[in-house]
Amino acid sequence: MKTILLLEDLPEIRVWLRKLVLQVFPGAHISESSRVHDAIDLASAVKFDLALIDLGLPDGSGVDVVAKLREVQPDAQSVVVSIHDDDEHLFPALQAGAFGYILKEQARELITEQLQRISQGEPPLSPSIARRVMAYFSAKAKPNPNAGLHAMPSVNLTDRESEVLLRVAKGYTLPEIGVQLGLSRHTIADYVKQIYRKLNVSSRAEAALEAQRLGLFR
Amino acid sequence: MLRPSSLPRLLLLVLGLLLALAGHPAHAQTLLQMTSAVTAAGEGNSFPVNAPLATVSLPDDWANSRPGFDGAVWYRGRFKPPADLGSDDLLALYIEHVCSNYQVQLNGQVVASGGRMTEPLTHNCNHPQLVTLPGALLQAEINTLDIQVAGHPLAEVGARQRAGGLSEVVIGPQSQLANWHARRTALQVTLPQAVGATLLLMGGFMFVLGFINRSESQLAYFGALSVGWALLDIRLWLRTVPVPHITAEFLLLAMLSFITWAAVQFLLRYASTRLRTVDAALPVQCALVPLSVMVAGPGKLHLVANIWYLVMTAEVVVAAGWYLWRERPTKSVWLMGPLLAATAVAGVIEFIAQRSETRPLAAHLAALVTPIIFVVVGLRLMQQQGRARQTVEQDKVLLEQRVREATEEIERNFRQLSELRVEQVTERERKRIAADLHDDLGAKLLTIVHTSDNERISTLAREALEEMRLSVRGLTGKAVRLGDALGDWRAEVVSRLGQAGIDCEWSAPEDLPQRLSARAYVQTTRILREATSNIIKHSNASQCTVSCSITDGDLLFVVQDNGDGIASMEVDGRLDRGHGLASMKNRAKQLQGQCLVESGPGYGTVIRLTVPLDRATEGS
Repeated sequence: MKTILLLEDLPEIRVWLRKLVLQVFPGAHISESSRVHDAIDLASAVKFDLALIDLGLPDGSGVDVVAKLREVQPDAQSVVVSIHDDDEHLFPALQAGAFGYILKEQARELITEQLQRISQGEPPLSPSIARRVMAYFSAKAKPNPNAGLHAMPSVNLTDRESEVLLRVAKGYTLPEIGVQLGLSRHTIADYVKQIYRKLNVSSRAEAALEAQRLGLFR
Repeated sequence: MLRPSSLPRLLLLVLGLLLALAGHPAHAQTLLQMTSAVTAAGEGNSFPVNAPLATVSLPDDWANSRPGFDGAVWYRGRFKPPADLGSDDLLALYIEHVCSNYQVQLNGQVVASGGRMTEPLTHNCNHPQLVTLPGALLQAEINTLDIQVAGHPLAEVGARQRAGGLSEVVIGPQSQLANWHARRTALQVTLPQAVGATLLLMGGFMFVLGFINRSESQLAYFGALSVGWALLDIRLWLRTVPVPHITAEFLLLAMLSFITWAAVQFLLRYASTRLRTVDAALPVQCALVPLSVMVAGPGKLHLVANIWYLVMTAEVVVAAGWYLWRERPTKSVWLMGPLLAATAVAGVIEFIAQRSETRPLAAHLAALVTPIIFVVVGLRLMQQQGRARQTVEQDKVLLEQRVREATEEIERNFRQLSELRVEQVTERERKRIAADLHDDLGAKLLTIVHTSDNERISTLAREALEEMRLSVRGLTGKAVRLGDALGDWRAEVVSRLGQAGIDCEWSAPEDLPQRLSARAYVQTTRILREATSNIIKHSNASQCTVSCSITDGDLLFVVQDNGDGIASMEVDGRLDRGHGLASMKNRAKQLQGQCLVESGPGYGTVIRLTVPLDRATEGS
């Protein structure tokens, strides 16, 4: 039986999501919250398997909840459920550790399928997110004059991961890429999962480095 | 404008002219020269025959013949008129130098008087005298010539030429003597008057100039020097000064100390030097000079004055030396050096003249050269002022140009800044509107999507939401690389068709550098989305081909399916069964492109979308 966190401020949507989640994960235990503050408290108190997190909330951004969950219980899988489809909004959440995203207005069947895929380790990846990830890692690959002695062991994408990203950016679907590279759908999904993980690890390392530089840790 | 090199040439010319004027009378045969005279002191109106007589040679200097004498002295000489005097000529008497005053009697009759014979005496020091001897009074054989001279002892005057005495006396034809007289008058009176007037005018001008502009204080001092020197020459205009001679001497000496002050300061300031001690000492000296005269008394005036002359000359010489030393690297020295040297020579000549009994011609020349040098220096100063002004004008023009350029740049920067600012504000406002739309309209539409029981309504709401999102992207979005846009479109079209179980073949060029404006991106997305929806909803197609190409600067999409096709009435736009063909065409038109639909029942549908890149592309 799964424990699931549901963070959504619109009551109707929360009700609808709840129904939907119960349909995908029958008998799941669902903790609901409509505020970032409450969700963060819950994250410290309850052990979750999955968290569906809205981004735009009355008292802040869902990204903070994603980050908190990633920190206190790395095994919990955060999924952004948002009305925003642009990478400007989604990318920070992915960096904070979200494992995929779902657009709220999609038809029930689509969302159901996506939820199942995510829980099976097949997160979605849009071309614009893929481009953003590529840009992020290629900027990191450049020598950074500020890194100095504090340089962390850098996290880099493998050639295969880069290849997958490039093809996603060009608009190819994951099954198509699997065919092109002669790999199973499952392997391609693993690459995507790995890309998400590396994005999070690298971002966290970067954030820690930045915090150290600013003297937040001593 | 006067060039420096032309100044010495001018000076030479002036000197030549002076020498020409100064030609000394040649002693022709017809001239009678009185070289000695019987003399007796006497204030009366006629030669004092009863007084003790003595014979003196002319020129007679009282300092030698009667030291300390103050008053009037009679000279008597006898002469026989020259026989070869032309019948149309007059006989005349020429006295080169008599200071202070005189009267002439011929055979007991007064024939000439120079002015007042009692205090204050008329001064004729610089004025040569020509007296016509009336023919009616002349005797054929012996004529008696009596000359009464009033004067002061040497001790009571500042300069030797102002002491009592009588120069040589010449009797001859008036035509000849008048000529001499005219020349000497020109040299000793008219020229110094003219130069003095020039000096007064120029000096006044300089003084005002220097006074206004304190950083050019040398001009003020030079002006004072010039004016002071010109005032010394006031004696040439006013022969009878309405004050006792001792007062006049006193004033003269005071004036000289003032001139020295101005001269020394001018030289120092001209050499860009300012000495506080000198600044203080010179006015003190100006006060000390008259004080010392008053203390010494009139009897020692000559001595005191001569001591002061030496002191003042020494001061000026030191100042001149200092000037030449300081300014030796500059070109000015090449002009000022000779001028100062000439002034020094004039000073030396004057010094020697003071020691001689008569007033030699050289002394008159020297006295005339000094103010002329002042005029030349004045011209030089004006030239420098003019140059400086010209330079300032040029600098000003340059400065104005710089200011103009700087202003232009500031304006340009300001324009760019405000443009940037406008962009930033616009960007922020767009983001705010976008956020509001999402939070408010988006949330409501979403609620409708997921709460409506009516499938049609929730579909409409979903579409509205997608539309809203695209609108927001058009509002906030930046230009999109065409290659990225193709990636987005492919992902959407292929995955949607795939989910609907329709095979899709997509072909498009890769690595396109062009950029698409956010608007063009959004509109093209909508058209493709609509076309895809049509295929999924209405066509019953099993296969679809999308090919994208760039021809003649246009982005061309051909979307072909193997479905049922669309009725021609709808293709023409006369009927709408929810295919949205009209809106697709409209959107294409807004991008200055076109959307053609070819279809017929049973033949599938071909949609040709053309988007002109030259309008839709931004940058490269």
